[in-house]
Amino acid sequence: MKLGSYILKRSLLMLLVMFGVLAIVFAIVHVIPADPVGALLGGNAPPDVVERMKEQLGLNKPLFDQFVNYVWGVVHGNLGNSIQSGRPVIRDIEEYFPVTLQLSIASIIISIFFGIFLGIFSAIYRNRWIDHFSRIFSILGVSMPVFWTGLILLLIFYYILGWLPGTGQLSLFVIPPEKITGMILVDSLLEGNWEAFWDGLRHLILPAAVLGYAATASIARITRASMLDVLNQDYIRTARAKGMPKRIVIYRHALKNALIPVITIIGLTFGGLLEGAVLTETVFGLPGLGRYIVNALLVLDYPAIMGGTLFIALVYSLVNLSVDLIYAILDPRMRV
Amino acid sequence: MRRFLLLALVFSFAAMAFSASIPKDTVVIGMNTGIFISFDPAVCYEVEPAIMVMNIYSGLFKLQEINGTIQAVPELAESYDISQDGKTWTFHIRKGVSFANGDPVNADAVVYSVKRVLQLKKSPVWLFESLGLNANNMNETVKKIDDYTVQITMDKSYAPNIVMSIFAESWGGIVDPKVAQSHDVSGDMGSAYLADHSAGAGPYILKSWQRNNMIVLVANDKYWRGAPRIKTIIIRDMPESTDQQLALKRGDIDIAWNLTPEQVNSLKGDPNFNVVSVPAQSNEYLAVNAGWGPFKDVRVRQAVKYAIDYDSIIKNIAGGYAIKVQGFIPYGYLGYVSDMPFDQNISKAKELLAQAGYANGFEVELVTNTTERRRNEAIAIQADLAKIGIKANITIMQASQMYTKMREQGIQMIIAGWGIDFPDPDALAKPFADYRVKQLAWRMMWYDDHAADLAEAAGFELNQTKRVEIYKELTNYWFDNGPFAILYQPLSYWGTRAELKGFDQTAKGYSLAFDLTKMYK
Repeated sequence: MKLGSYILKRSLLMLLVMFGVLAIVFAIVHVIPADPVGALLGGNAPPDVVERMKEQLGLNKPLFDQFVNYVWGVVHGNLGNSIQSGRPVIRDIEEYFPVTLQLSIASIIISIFFGIFLGIFSAIYRNRWIDHFSRIFSILGVSMPVFWTGLILLLIFYYILGWLPGTGQLSLFVIPPEKITGMILVDSLLEGNWEAFWDGLRHLILPAAVLGYAATASIARITRASMLDVLNQDYIRTARAKGMPKRIVIYRHALKNALIPVITIIGLTFGGLLEGAVLTETVFGLPGLGRYIVNALLVLDYPAIMGGTLFIALVYSLVNLSVDLIYAILDPRMRV
Repeated sequence: MRRFLLLALVFSFAAMAFSASIPKDTVVIGMNTGIFISFDPAVCYEVEPAIMVMNIYSGLFKLQEINGTIQAVPELAESYDISQDGKTWTFHIRKGVSFANGDPVNADAVVYSVKRVLQLKKSPVWLFESLGLNANNMNETVKKIDDYTVQITMDKSYAPNIVMSIFAESWGGIVDPKVAQSHDVSGDMGSAYLADHSAGAGPYILKSWQRNNMIVLVANDKYWRGAPRIKTIIIRDMPESTDQQLALKRGDIDIAWNLTPEQVNSLKGDPNFNVVSVPAQSNEYLAVNAGWGPFKDVRVRQAVKYAIDYDSIIKNIAGGYAIKVQGFIPYGYLGYVSDMPFDQNISKAKELLAQAGYANGFEVELVTNTTERRRNEAIAIQADLAKIGIKANITIMQASQMYTKMREQGIQMIIAGWGIDFPDPDALAKPFADYRVKQLAWRMMWYDDHAADLAEAAGFELNQTKRVEIYKELTNYWFDNGPFAILYQPLSYWGTRAELKGFDQTAKGYSLAFDLTKMYK
């Protein structure tokens, strides 16, 4: 199969996945026995006010009509207006997503760095203390709740030691850069606002470390397994037998091949980070998409929940698609 | 070289550790701002944003705590006259007052702002509608007489305090028509724009709102009572109470808004911090459905009220941050009744049940929502009821789901709270005793005409002394017959840095009145 038709096939599949996500999320938010008008108006409003509000929001129409209207809107690039804020959901996403993206990118860099190194060391020193240590370290990362790790790190590095700033994206009196991409670090670099860059970086360290740590384990484990697999292959033994230095064999010959499966897991992990950012954003008070969706869930803001979920699903699919493409380029056997 | 770089990095982190302290004319608040929707007075209906709106927009009246009671005092209305039949109010607008941008506050602005609420029909509109004002009749009921006189005609002669209180709330904020209209998008009267901008004549101006991040208010130097002492108020979004606690202790914020009782108690006795607590404008209650099974019998309803250990709930569940109140009118209100007829009395409760024919008790579903406090209350009350043989099965649900079920009269027993909409006993007597307004009494199927008549009569009584007497009579009747047991009136509380002064005065009357101009450093 040619690369072009491979991409086409994958894109069509992606559309199908998106529609599935849309239908499932729509069904779930409408099946749960709660209503957004109640959440919006609170407990006090009299019944006629509740009815009128339902009518205003179009929630009194049959479910099927609501679904068709929604899908029609989505096809035309309109995710609807948030019940809560009254603003177009797409505008909310535009505002919140860059924060989540910046956090996820920083986290994935951390987890790739630590994950691959821990994985390599584990494989080279298999069953030695370094292997045990790296496995325990990475398992702790997955098992400790992000919420808890976040608070503990804040307590140590912000409250007790005072080395790093507390929550938020920037210190209070640091002038933020003009919004270009919405990612503070990128924008401040573009603007040459070094104070904001440095401050933003310091604010990013703890949340990115917490989120990245949680993702390190899977990368480390796959790297280890894949590395062990490669190290036992004939060509490595041959290389070693020829007298090639161990370092070169490991880093130049073995690692290159061992990393192919790791790319897949990195793609999946990155998608997972986008979702996993929810709790991190809450603990560190970051105005990201995760926190937006959580707030929307609390008041059952249907359009915001659906729009946000759909968007994350889209990003997830795109990341996976690009991973598969990289894979296909690296390994032509995959295109079959 | 590498080592040197690493050391340099560590040192530069440590050097940056001492962040700049907060200037004297600035107050920083740590708060969970997740529920903030809009700063438009015609849209905003949630407690925290509403108190900010009241500090951004001046209304005809302003709520103030005077001698322990929250009262509406003249703000943009310098004076008012009420017609003989009590329905038509003529407001005389204060001359020489301007909006923060310099535009004059006049009759046009007042008429525009009231009509704007009625036309936009957002969450708070029903309060104006409860006075008989609506989008259909507004051209006849809300009129400009001259540049500084406005006439508003209600459908009935409501007690003056009701009208004044409703106009003093956030939705009564006067909006600059020029600003609102110049940002009109497809007939929204500037609502999208005013969600995160301001056009008011209050002591503060909304400078910016980055959602889920930060809100900045700056002093309005043109405020007619004089510019406030604190020039900048920054509200930082901190969803986690632990984060707020740490930031307060580090000196990064002046006020921690959402601490838990344990966290706020840990500040007590430390000279660097103050704990401010005020009676909240709400009631925590247990209600039974008077139209369901055993609760149809008034003796069973009384038995439930005698079964509850009120003191233990206040001490152990509310952590002491609550006041014992048993009538529906809370402490600090006109008509407050200080009687506490109900204390836990198991033998009396059992006797009442036996008289009603339920000596062996019965099973009932007790519904409440997901907050930790409510869940604990449900467990405590379940245990209390078990002592008199009533087996309460607890069902926990989302608040919105719970209220929907309640509106459908589908709840047997519930623990919930009632946030007061405006500071007048009418805002309590009607929901708790008058089934005709289709609020709490109706939802719990207590169709008692005597109680409803009394609540209505008090609402129309223009003589304050007589009004108080009617509320007293109603409260006593309600104690004996009603389907409600008030568990307590909550206290709101904050942790503040000691250098912040006057916050106790600012917070008086929270969640209805909240005066940011009273604090200083």
